[in-house]
Amino acid sequence: MSQAFLQRLRTARPRLVAKARLQVDRVNGEPVLLYPEGVVLLNATGEAILQLCDGTRAFPDVLACLAAVYHTPATQLEDDVSTYLLKLHRQSLIELLEIGEEP
Amino acid sequence: MSEEQSGGIARYRPFGLLAELTYRCPLHCPYCSNPVQVQPTSAELSTIEWQRVIREASELGVLHLLFSGGEPLLRKDLPELVACAHEQGMYTNLITSGLGLTRSRAQTLRDMGLESVQISFQADQTEQADALAGTPAHARKLAAARLVRELNLPLTINVVLHRANLDRLEEMIALAEQLDAQRLELAHTQYLGWAFENREALLPTRAQVERADRVAAAAQTRLRGKMEVLYVLPDYYSDRPKPCMHGWGRRYIAVNPAGDVLPCQTAAIIPDLHFANVRQHPLAWIWHTSPAFQRFRGTAWMPEPCQSCALREIDFGGCRCQAFLLTGDASRTDPVCALSADHQQLQESIAQIQRAEPEQVQSLRMRQNPVCEPRRVSSILPPDCTALLNRKESAI
Repeated sequence: MSQAFLQRLRTARPRLVAKARLQVDRVNGEPVLLYPEGVVLLNATGEAILQLCDGTRAFPDVLACLAAVYHTPATQLEDDVSTYLLKLHRQSLIELLEIGEEP
Repeated sequence: MSEEQSGGIARYRPFGLLAELTYRCPLHCPYCSNPVQVQPTSAELSTIEWQRVIREASELGVLHLLFSGGEPLLRKDLPELVACAHEQGMYTNLITSGLGLTRSRAQTLRDMGLESVQISFQADQTEQADALAGTPAHARKLAAARLVRELNLPLTINVVLHRANLDRLEEMIALAEQLDAQRLELAHTQYLGWAFENREALLPTRAQVERADRVAAAAQTRLRGKMEVLYVLPDYYSDRPKPCMHGWGRRYIAVNPAGDVLPCQTAAIIPDLHFANVRQHPLAWIWHTSPAFQRFRGTAWMPEPCQSCALREIDFGGCRCQAFLLTGDASRTDPVCALSADHQQLQESIAQIQRAEPEQVQSLRMRQNPVCEPRRVSSILPPDCTALLNRKESAI
């Protein structure tokens, strides 16, 4: 499961599923991810990753954007970001669009 | 409501508000979580009162508004209430039987900001489902579920599990897949409210539960990434209690049709608690200060063995309503816990239920509407279902 996901992720475009959306928590100003009857409390990095996962960018482009924002080589970010997306995929919150698949 | 933490968050902060808009319902499910006592419908909160509750809830930090009941679609003002929650940035969830969800109603609700719909199913087959609902509902539920997906709203299917439907778990999972549900809640009956009244007829055998556990686990693995499958364990067969509501007055508020505010929707059965009403008090005062929300909050109230238990902030001592129903004292450790002094007695009473003769478990007490007096109904189950209930079970 995890190997197959990570393999596909290399070329696919990750997308936050339609049922989930980002929201700013009005109590503390922090980002949160809301989906049916569930909440994921995010930090700024989590929010930055998920904002890029809109189905238009291939995973290497997501990494490149993050690398630019955080002034860190994409290769150093790859493991952490992949693990993060795998975790959300297991919760059915991230899906992968293959090359050629309509967003 | 699931919750995942990654940062500092207030210790007692509600994430979800369950708005029980009405106790009126077209269904009569014998495991309903609504009060068994007859409630007058005349006392229901008005539109303006609900809108104030929703705004106050948002200020308190509530992120999810769960519109429930009874059947929330029976409230004509549901679109206005959805719009109010949506304006506050809350995620809006409709928890419905599906009855009354016409195309125009569903479109209006979506246009007003409705974000997800949960539809209950009683079984996968029409005959059994209608018998359990006490009304011909199954076909209308199927139509409502298809409509939800047609309108591109995320769909949750909820099935309450018990002795009469548990052996068809695979078929119910297949039904959820066929309906393109994004989420499936397979929830073993919680023996509170109407379900407690009917526990002799509803309680599955241990063999049924063990098989269901395996079926659910396999579905979770197979459907991972496609459909979220939530499996709520049958706590009578556990040796550790469920973390009820993720702790009393910690993450969750329920407001009943008359405006009483509770830490969970069934807490009204606990006799020595007085629940403050939104007509008299601001929601923030009720949450932070009212005696009922303080009563079982945190760990100071806990008796032994909870008080010195390493798991006291994992399971929060279990369910207060269950402790009351089984021991007469809501402040005792949930008898489901193997460390509870009452655990042995619960085990014996489960064994006794399993040994019950068929004639003792035939009668199900169907949930009645608020204005009606509850009555006993015999032989409501279709032949195949009655056979299940009549099957002699070996003692566990």
